[in-house]
Amino acid sequence: MDGEEYRQFERTLTNATAQHTGAALDMALDDLGWHDALAADPRTAISLLCELQGAANATSCALGYVFAHALGMATNRGNGIVLPPIGRWDPPGTVDGGDLAVQGIANASLAHEGSALIVTTTGARTVAVSVPTESLALQLVDGMDPDLMWYDARGTSVLADRNVETLAGDWASAVALGRLAVAHELVGTSRAMLELACAHARSRIQFGRTIGSFQAVRHRLAETLVGIEMADAMLEAAWLDRLPKTAAMAKSVAGRQARTTARHCQQVLAGIGFTTEHPLHRYIRRSFVLDALLGSTISLTRALGTEVIMTSELPALPLL
Amino acid sequence: MDLESFRAALDTWLNDHEGSLAASYEGTGTLDEQIDHVCTVKRLTFDAGFMRFGWPEHVGGFGGSPLLRAYLGEALTARDLVEPGLYSMTEVLAPTMIDYAAPELAAAMVPALLRGDETWCQGFSEPGTGSNLASLSCRAVRTDHGWRVTGQKVWTSLAQYAQRCVLLTRTGTPESAHRGITALFADMESPGITVRPIRAMHGSDEFCEVFFDDVIVPFDRTLGKEGDGWAVAMDLLPYERSTSLWHRAAFLHRRLQELLSAAPPGALDPARLGEIIQLLYAFRSRSRRTVHRMASGGILGPETSIDKILLATSEQAIFDLVADVLTADVSCGDDPESQRWRSEYLYSRAASIYGGSAEIQRNIVARRLLDLGNGQ
Repeated sequence: MDGEEYRQFERTLTNATAQHTGAALDMALDDLGWHDALAADPRTAISLLCELQGAANATSCALGYVFAHALGMATNRGNGIVLPPIGRWDPPGTVDGGDLAVQGIANASLAHEGSALIVTTTGARTVAVSVPTESLALQLVDGMDPDLMWYDARGTSVLADRNVETLAGDWASAVALGRLAVAHELVGTSRAMLELACAHARSRIQFGRTIGSFQAVRHRLAETLVGIEMADAMLEAAWLDRLPKTAAMAKSVAGRQARTTARHCQQVLAGIGFTTEHPLHRYIRRSFVLDALLGSTISLTRALGTEVIMTSELPALPLL
Repeated sequence: MDLESFRAALDTWLNDHEGSLAASYEGTGTLDEQIDHVCTVKRLTFDAGFMRFGWPEHVGGFGGSPLLRAYLGEALTARDLVEPGLYSMTEVLAPTMIDYAAPELAAAMVPALLRGDETWCQGFSEPGTGSNLASLSCRAVRTDHGWRVTGQKVWTSLAQYAQRCVLLTRTGTPESAHRGITALFADMESPGITVRPIRAMHGSDEFCEVFFDDVIVPFDRTLGKEGDGWAVAMDLLPYERSTSLWHRAAFLHRRLQELLSAAPPGALDPARLGEIIQLLYAFRSRSRRTVHRMASGGILGPETSIDKILLATSEQAIFDLVADVLTADVSCGDDPESQRWRSEYLYSRAASIYGGSAEIQRNIVARRLLDLGNGQ
């Protein structure tokens, strides 16, 4: 996408994410041609939508669409995709004999779809199995961030050839692309928290001066921006080399900096930031859950360290 | 030449000449040996042509993108052929001359720096002027013979080896702050200059005090015009924060890789190592972006404070890990490799002090990037 086209797309997405959330945002994305953009220019489509969605604290089926795209399916079938359970990144379906066991999470929209798509791997093949939604036990998740309206989805179905579809994409690439999407959403969420805290630091007066004039406050907020820009730069590297390992690093850096952002911004926003009358708490909740999605910072970081110790080899990086 | 062709040609040449380019000493060597070595490497790469890419023709270069010299420094550092701190001073001082010296002066002087025939230093900080550079007081007054300079500089790296000095002087009133500063290009052999090396904690005499007692600097050695000194200092930052940091990142990458081989079994904690790798890679990704912005003519400003913060944070995290994993070597080892780890560990403590302290960088981020006012 070039200059003017990009800015137009950004404006449209900014309006959509500011005005809509949930199913309404999914409809808006359909109308504004986001699915075509995802097919033509995944980096622009994913980075823009996910950062804006994070900044607006909105929800959509974006992650499902991203998985559908990476797996080689029509992206609008992403509504029906079951994603891995929180904290994990293996396929939500496991085959045991003729049975398909399902455990994962699903967007609220799945409840309105007739069938759910369960991704599983058999041998070297990655397949999607279409199962009737009613065969799954769907339980609405409250948890830390009830606004997400996620369902815990689990159940057992019979595996039959007629409902099994071999996918062009592989699971590891889908997880990698999904991690980039989540990392962008964490960056958007963090930028929104930082802006809330900076606005407060510029206007709140104590001891006759704005609290943003105190170095202790300034340095916390500066540190927050450094973390966000780290994640942003790491994401750029991951888009350049498209290696799953770099995507995992980007997700880890984004998750870690989001926790730091939440801590510093909550401290600066102090009393008001601890109430539900201020929007901060929604972003803190969102970033906490997003960090756990598709592998938490700590688990991905430990996995990276373990592999590097085993191989004695640092990962590759994009060249200059 | 484009970057891909340059990379291929340079890599081949380095493979073929690694023997003559490698240092002959073990471990860190003495500072004399280090300077001698970095000058040799510069001469060999200049004579082979590689050092001349990325610099303009009128100062002895072959033109081409600054990305080429960013890669040259990266490749030399990654192969342990240069110490990046000594090598990258060229990256900071040559552009200043190109941008501010009279064209004939730049044409006469810069090739000697690129080729390693000369070493230059940078006289900015003073005993009373650390973070607050605009308060400097080393005085230059007009006389019939040129500027007469009186005062003192400190933290002047490599002054005892330097033939020239890019020098900031006070030419306005003491109250003129950043408006009354003028940059000069002084010969270090001029009568009245005394250099006293300072033994730093990591065992090197890299930093010096430099005293100026009625030193005459000709008017044609003024960089820019009278009063342009602050602009000279500020315009130098983009170079200090782009290619130089990119070279330093390559150094950290190499040392972390070497730590993996040197670490005793079981000494590395996976979670801590993973986090440090992510930090270093985020710094490299950030630096890569900054180098590309600089090379495409973008204006680098206060956002490069983030690059400097990331350098300091990564360097200290990596060498904290070194200290915890190679504890016996760093604390009590006297073999060349242990001495090198120890020296680098100690030097890493300075990363949050030099080139604008961690606190100054965070103040800049707060004021310029987060719009939090000037902190008053």
